[in-house]
Amino acid sequence: MKMMWFHLMPYPALPDDFQQKHRSVWVDIDPALFDRDIMAETYETYIDQLVYAEECGFDAICVNEHHNNGYGLMPSPNIIASILASRTSRAAITIMGNSVALYHPPVRVAEEMAMIDLISKGRVIAGFPVGTAMDTAYSYGMNPSELRPRYYEGVDLIRKAWASTEAFAYNGEFNKYRYVNPIPRPYQQPSPPIWIPGGGSVETWDYCAENDFVYGALTYYGHKAVKSTVDNFWNRVEAHGKDYNPNRLAVTQFIGVADTDAEAHRLYKEPAEYFFNRSFFVYPGFSDPPGYVTEASVRAKYRSQVRDAVKQKIAKGELKWEEMVENGYVVVGSPDTVREQLEAAAKDLNLGNLAALLQFGNMNDELVRYNTNMFAEKVAPQLKTMFAEWEHPYWPSGATPAPSAAA
Amino acid sequence: MSTILYFPGMGGNAGVSPALAQLDGFDVVIPAVPGFAGEAGFTAPTDYLGWLVATWDAVDATGALADGPVHVVGASVGGMLAAELAAMRPEIVASLVLLAPFGINDADNPGFDYFSLRGPERPPHLFAKGVPEAFATRFDARGAEEAPVAQYIADIATGALTWPIGDRGTAKRLHRIRCPKLVLWGGQDELLSPGLAERWGGGTVVDGAGHLLEWDCPDEVAAHLRAFLAG
Repeated sequence: MKMMWFHLMPYPALPDDFQQKHRSVWVDIDPALFDRDIMAETYETYIDQLVYAEECGFDAICVNEHHNNGYGLMPSPNIIASILASRTSRAAITIMGNSVALYHPPVRVAEEMAMIDLISKGRVIAGFPVGTAMDTAYSYGMNPSELRPRYYEGVDLIRKAWASTEAFAYNGEFNKYRYVNPIPRPYQQPSPPIWIPGGGSVETWDYCAENDFVYGALTYYGHKAVKSTVDNFWNRVEAHGKDYNPNRLAVTQFIGVADTDAEAHRLYKEPAEYFFNRSFFVYPGFSDPPGYVTEASVRAKYRSQVRDAVKQKIAKGELKWEEMVENGYVVVGSPDTVREQLEAAAKDLNLGNLAALLQFGNMNDELVRYNTNMFAEKVAPQLKTMFAEWEHPYWPSGATPAPSAAA
Repeated sequence: MSTILYFPGMGGNAGVSPALAQLDGFDVVIPAVPGFAGEAGFTAPTDYLGWLVATWDAVDATGALADGPVHVVGASVGGMLAAELAAMRPEIVASLVLLAPFGINDADNPGFDYFSLRGPERPPHLFAKGVPEAFATRFDARGAEEAPVAQYIADIATGALTWPIGDRGTAKRLHRIRCPKLVLWGGQDELLSPGLAERWGGGTVVDGAGHLLEWDCPDEVAAHLRAFLAG
């Protein structure tokens, strides 16, 4: 199993009374909350943490894309990824953005990712999420009815642009170009591996299965809550006659490791509560612009309100640490405890790529490095041996394993 | 009997509004603009021209043009489609009534962000006097499971036309409208300021009415319509 270190880059200094005085961490968050000096220092710290993850032996470091957001300070993941390409030499660089529909022309995305792939000598994983409603429809004004058709066409254009050996014309519904000819083409030919971070739509599962894209179930609710989504994904993989290679799947998971269970609970309770009850305090109305989800998904939504119930608790600031642990939102404890839970989860989900969230909420740099190192030294080595019998055709060709037995 | 083509607005097609239902001597026809009836399988056109063509096709399909030009009444987002029809196919429009139309917006006063509410929370913001029963139950005939889906689909249609701000450059085409025109606006419209009426060449404010004024104040709106159509 691949060990991936995923940074959300949250703003670490939202006030204690954030829920009482603000309606949302996303879209219309008060810009006055963000202190310039804290921001500048935070970027430096967070980038250093990603570099440190490679030093600890992680197979990949991961960034993503959010807009108008207080828990994700990377509106342009490509900027962070380009820095990482220069400051690291081995780990895969997983860019869990770009939300292709937002960029015109999409060829710009092809150009930037190709540049990062070259700078990193073939270590890029190209993530293409549709993008959340908050990022796309509200922060970027994208018409939700146009979002998915623009997204699919944009990904198609980018793939053709990367693979083409000559300039070509493109006559799409939204993109019409006489000359598509991005210079440079990526280091990895015909394309860096493409991963699709997403929620739980049938269309996304089919899209991944048909095209042999890795499906990234980017959940903040952990391995238990994502189980039904992942089961549905594997059902669609089977329906398309594809193999059961666990490397087709990546899942995010908050993790906290310490010497003992009690110590882990003491260390990680506050940052987890900060994330769920402050960083993730999103105005519910921003999640449901008409047209963002398909008709089939709407029907399904009216039958399943589980996630809504959790969000209502978050909206009230009532999600308790005990619930986070019990429900698997955070896997926390001693190395043995964490390893046992993750091993079981990986088997249950058939999970080949674990995107570990070892920094969350307002966790300070010292604790982030402690958590990262503990995981790398005492949890990852056993997990890495899982699913070793499977090839990983979805991994960047330029990325290499850590020389030591660490993560 | 003269024909009125009626384009409903936010919330979709809830049938002939109470104001239009009061008009004697007119046959009120609602063109089947895609999505407004919450029909299953709806896919929104991906550009504005696609919407206009779909609207014109819906008008042609009514058969109402066989006897010559028709009166056109458009409310809310339907008002935008009605105005575009009058601007681009002026030969088929005898007169135009716009009830708080989308199509022109003021960035300094963009109005209430209607779609930043979850579906069931939206309709109360369309009215100043509460949601009328006939409007609230407009899709109930579809059954308990399909009614909210139909509402969602109707919101997709109206949302697609007005996202993120309901301005598709209609102001640049107003000079092409050559038929008589009446603009009415609810004085308590949350979605669009009554002050926007000036941008449409001036209008009359109906006090006590919200965005869907033909439902909130049907008698007053019907009186204005009668006087206008008689002229």
